[in-house]
Amino acid sequence: MSAAVIVDETPAPIAPTKRARNPYIRGLRTPRGIAGLTVVALVVLLGLAAPLLTRYAPTFQTADALLGPSGEHPLGTDEIGRDLWSRVLFGIRTDLIVVVSAVPLGALTGCLLALVSVTSRWADVVVQRAFDLVLAFPGLILGLTVTAVLGAGKSTVIVVIAVVEAPAFGRMLRGAILSHREREYALAARVGGAGRVRLLVRHILPNAADPLVVQIAVSLSIAVIVEGAMSFIGIGVRPPEPSLGSIVSGSVMHLQDHPSYAIGPLVAISAFVLGLNLIAEALNKGVRR
Amino acid sequence: MTVTIDKPAQIRAGTPLLAAHDLRVVFDSERGPVHAVRGVDLELAVGEMLGVVGESGSGKSTTALALARMLPPAGRIVGGSVLLDGDTDLVTASEAALVGVRGRRIGMVFQDPMTSLNPLLTVRRQLHEALRAHGFGDRRAREARAVELAELVGIPGARVSGYPHQFSGGMRQRVMIALALANRPDVLIADEPTTALDPTVQAQILELLDTLRRELGTAVLLITHNMGVVAERCDRVAVMYGGRVIEQGPVAEVLTAPRHPYTAGLLRAVPRLDTPAGTRLAGIPGTPPDLALPVLGCAFADRCAAVIDRCRTEQPDLVPVTDDVRSACWVPPTEAPAHEPGPIRRNAPDPTSPVLEVRGVSKSFRSRRRPAVAALTDVDLVLYPGETLGVVGESGSGKSTLARAIVGIHKPDRGVIRVAGKGRLAREVQMVFQDPFASLNPRMTVGDIVADPLHAQRIGTPLERRARVLELLERVGLDPAAASRLPRDFSGGQRQRIGIARALAPAPSVLICDEAVSALDVSVQAQVVNLLAELQAELGLALLFIAHDLAVVRSISHRIVVLREGRVVETGPADDLVAHPQDPYTKALLAAVPSPVPVAVRAAEAV
Repeated sequence: MSAAVIVDETPAPIAPTKRARNPYIRGLRTPRGIAGLTVVALVVLLGLAAPLLTRYAPTFQTADALLGPSGEHPLGTDEIGRDLWSRVLFGIRTDLIVVVSAVPLGALTGCLLALVSVTSRWADVVVQRAFDLVLAFPGLILGLTVTAVLGAGKSTVIVVIAVVEAPAFGRMLRGAILSHREREYALAARVGGAGRVRLLVRHILPNAADPLVVQIAVSLSIAVIVEGAMSFIGIGVRPPEPSLGSIVSGSVMHLQDHPSYAIGPLVAISAFVLGLNLIAEALNKGVRR
Repeated sequence: MTVTIDKPAQIRAGTPLLAAHDLRVVFDSERGPVHAVRGVDLELAVGEMLGVVGESGSGKSTTALALARMLPPAGRIVGGSVLLDGDTDLVTASEAALVGVRGRRIGMVFQDPMTSLNPLLTVRRQLHEALRAHGFGDRRAREARAVELAELVGIPGARVSGYPHQFSGGMRQRVMIALALANRPDVLIADEPTTALDPTVQAQILELLDTLRRELGTAVLLITHNMGVVAERCDRVAVMYGGRVIEQGPVAEVLTAPRHPYTAGLLRAVPRLDTPAGTRLAGIPGTPPDLALPVLGCAFADRCAAVIDRCRTEQPDLVPVTDDVRSACWVPPTEAPAHEPGPIRRNAPDPTSPVLEVRGVSKSFRSRRRPAVAALTDVDLVLYPGETLGVVGESGSGKSTLARAIVGIHKPDRGVIRVAGKGRLAREVQMVFQDPFASLNPRMTVGDIVADPLHAQRIGTPLERRARVLELLERVGLDPAAASRLPRDFSGGQRQRIGIARALAPAPSVLICDEAVSALDVSVQAQVVNLLAELQAELGLALLFIAHDLAVVRSISHRIVVLREGRVVETGPADDLVAHPQDPYTKALLAAVPSPVPVAVRAAEAV
């Protein structure tokens, strides 16, 4: 047969695409993604630039306690005269440090356990039951238990958040690996002679990781809430170090006469969580295309 | 019981029941508007069966949906008319008027019987709903009518209280047809109603449609990609390409003397049972037009052998060429060059020592609550160097299990699989998969995909691998520049070539093709079959060619094995097996393959 017939099907030129190649970037470039990024960036910037934005140290006690908002103290002062604007900014910092170290730790733990669990049925049973155990505990009870062992403080909050988040990542990755393992491209890789490690690392993981990126955004927002809850009941970040949760906690006693006390930390938490959820949704849409 | 639904006092003579004129549909997509239907003219007369054929992307399904104004939200009709009874224009009709038309005047049957039924409702309940939606009788009348409808389509009345999952694919499609017929529509639009079904089941469903048309006088618009189905069942045919009808006329005329080069090419590409094994299929070079881009002139011009300058600048209209046939082509049919397909170059297999031996292999799958399913039972086969062994069977015959057992994905329960040669199995046996979209890793470049078996088996240096990839891509008819692109930039046929290149990378002695061409359009399928045949002759490969389509298998195979429910029922040389089938199952399979020769013509030849 003539060679002409087989060389006839040259690849059609790809139409110039306006769409970004990377699905994450494609998702973030939507109005939803841009809104989420803007809100989160604003909160993060406030936290990072905290020393530049206030004249008071977060622990410095002025003479005036429980002032209302004024030019000197934009959010007023708390019950021992500390500047609330300054405490909120540094509180954002504390929260950032906590969630940015806790969530990757939880994700890593969960993913490693998922990789263990797909190696054999026996390992799978053990790991899945361990996840069940963690999920069966209400978050705060778990927090109290861990605090009882490790003592209160920032590192305890980080450990608690990591433990609470790990099962979500582990379950998600395990499910994705199991489903991708049966797809034709994975079978093709096995037929091509790929061993277990190569199959997993080169072929399956890059495809199975999509939902994890979305989960990271979701987990960050949950982490902010967990930190808030733990500090609120007094087992979180230790005073006088400010965190968003502990400021809310301090405001409770004074809500009747000084409602403006709680506004700063609550707005910061809400904005952060809302922005992260918008990002998570935008990423999810991008990945699902 | 008699069913009385208001019908317009029967249709004025000469007016078609349903007539589309210059119908245009646009879809919104991220890449901008896609002109899926670009001016379609169709007429459907009372009691007629009109076949609409075309390959994927020709706009045939979109046309079907547009006729009943059932386009998805992204699509809209931007021009033309759809006249029902010659006076009601469905394009401008109100939504309320359409509700009265759908179901009552126009019924629809879709391709996938697995997802078109509501899994939570019994079949009886679904028939009920369809009847109630159009205010049919009282409860008891509907009850009786539901059973009557089920029996009409060949479902025993006792089974209507079952749920869809308790029905097989063919039975579900019967339910779909019963639903479409519930309110005795005058028009039944069936969009690829048999594509998801096995050939023997397909034959039953087509027979059912034919009977319904004869007995109820329902006009049927049958959308299909299968020329054989058209030849066997339709009165008239409309051939679509690039969103337009390019030829229309009586089946006997169009299929025997096609006027349009595309129709002619399509017919040549269809594998047929009446040509000897080893006949080369004539593929149509190139790929269908991208409907997101404007088409200047004839959409087929780039793939047409008879192209003249005018084809590239002016779009030909659908004009009468004989009393009944209309065609849209600037070139008079006599001038179109007709080339006879020659035989494929084939080397005789070397029957001294087999490269692959399968002896007494059994495999069953156990699941927790159900009894074990025997996928393979005592299967024997041998494959010699340079030989193509076709494996045919319907779904559930164990074809894929066999392929996967040979490449080591499934471990057989009993029996031995021996592959000649030393070294790793993956070096000697490679496989081409069915789904051109799922079988390539979407995150890897084409070059990495093709080189993957080499990497995995540590064959060659990086430089050698690179050279090998470029050589392979060229060998399978792709531009070597493809190596740096991702699979999603390629069409189905091109992806399948990438899959073949990957399989050839470690220079295996056995290549297994598991339904490797069944997801492709016929014009592309022919190209890929030819490529496989040619590669085999040149490289001395032993080919295990698994498919459900007997005609394709025959065109490429030396010998054929017929599988049924995990057992080999018959095996023999390709031509012998087709000409003188021994097993009743083989005979049934052969009888079920629709031939693209019109029934009338076959009858005439027989006399």
